[in-house]
Amino acid sequence: MITMASSQEKPQLIVDGKRLDGRDAGDLRPISIQTNVVKNAVGSAYIEWGNNKIIAAVYGPKEALPKHTANPERAVIKCRYAMSPFSSLEDHGRTGPNRRATEISKVTREVFENVVMLEKFPGSEIDIYVEVLQADGGTRAAGVTAAAVAMATSGIPMTDLPFGVSIGKIGETIVVDLNKIEDNYSDADVPMVISPRQDKILLLQMDGNMTKDNIKEAIDLAKKAGETISKLQSDALRAPYLEVMEKYKGEKSSYDEKQAD
Amino acid sequence: MQRIVIPGEKLEDKPLRIEGAIVDNGKTYSTVMGSYDQDKKALIPLEGLWYPMPGDTVVGRIAEDKFTVYIVDLSAPYRGLIFSKDSNEEFVAGDLVEATVKELDKTQTAILGRPRKLTGGKLVYVKPSKIPRILGRGNNMIKQLTMKTHTDVTVGMNGIIWLRGGRLDLVSEALNMIQEEAHTSGLTNRVMSLLELGA
Repeated sequence: MITMASSQEKPQLIVDGKRLDGRDAGDLRPISIQTNVVKNAVGSAYIEWGNNKIIAAVYGPKEALPKHTANPERAVIKCRYAMSPFSSLEDHGRTGPNRRATEISKVTREVFENVVMLEKFPGSEIDIYVEVLQADGGTRAAGVTAAAVAMATSGIPMTDLPFGVSIGKIGETIVVDLNKIEDNYSDADVPMVISPRQDKILLLQMDGNMTKDNIKEAIDLAKKAGETISKLQSDALRAPYLEVMEKYKGEKSSYDEKQAD
Repeated sequence: MQRIVIPGEKLEDKPLRIEGAIVDNGKTYSTVMGSYDQDKKALIPLEGLWYPMPGDTVVGRIAEDKFTVYIVDLSAPYRGLIFSKDSNEEFVAGDLVEATVKELDKTQTAILGRPRKLTGGKLVYVKPSKIPRILGRGNNMIKQLTMKTHTDVTVGMNGIIWLRGGRLDLVSEALNMIQEEAHTSGLTNRVMSLLELGA
């Protein structure tokens, strides 16, 4: 096991304006998203965000159990974020939920309570599972991004498709999308989840110190990065449909093709 | 002109009442993955859940037998309920049943009438959002399927389809095809040629 150096021996995180992995301050790591990867789930997604590998799955709506958790006016969301025992260098993911996983499950749940139209399913529950297979910093943001895509593929109505991204401060520079090393040694780490259509911040946590101006800059950077992330989410959702449409493009029917609904 | 839309995508710049959409700040936005027809102002969900409506045919499995009522598992957020007095037959837990939704009550329960026991056969699970396409306009698609394959097909609006006799393999294949290509045009023709090739 690698022991973490104390914060006194901070590694140089920005050299000649470039970060350790060669990115500029405003660059995201490469992201790819796939939909419908879990057959038994109602909706699911797999995201590779740099070295993060995360599966998100959505089940439900179904009868809320145990019964006392049900709300007769709206659906309840239950969320489980978990790191696999093999996902990271530290000992995350030992058996059972720990303090950190419980916290992230809670904040993820609260993000989706704000975008899913819960009032359509009174008395039922919607389960979200976020399973981290490989971790390299920023897993809660990547997890929410994947879970949003999973929720969209499940057909549960949502008012928006949120995305997550973490913003950090290294020295005096505000940087986008911290990886594990930067996360550990940066001066501040601010994961954010934004609902782009409503322009609302659904999650904002801060580890470290930032000034008021820093926060303003961070939010602007997150929104800018979000344009890229939202585009990737939307492409991933459309891809399977466009593929089939492309295949039969231009074919006309002798029957009227309107759906009888 | 149809386009694929995702949750939160703007459909119209003015407030319009469209099924599956919301109006926010004077503009209309989609809440589901769907195919939006700009001219007809219609949003057809590509992924979706089944909301029971009175008159819907459903296929389910008896989950519990409570003497006066049977509870039916519809694999949906709603439970089905059959009153024994509405039924000429007796069921036991595990029986497959076809029924019609009579009414809905407020506790996530659909009260079912006209139950009929389904024996033998095979179940196919499909996405509830694809059922309108499987039925086709004026039930055209399903009529053709039944005629050409001589299979008994009972389509539950909850996404469970029961098949018996005839060409089970061919019908399953056709149902899969409809499900995957539901948003393309010329589908009926392709399904028909599939059936003719297989026959």
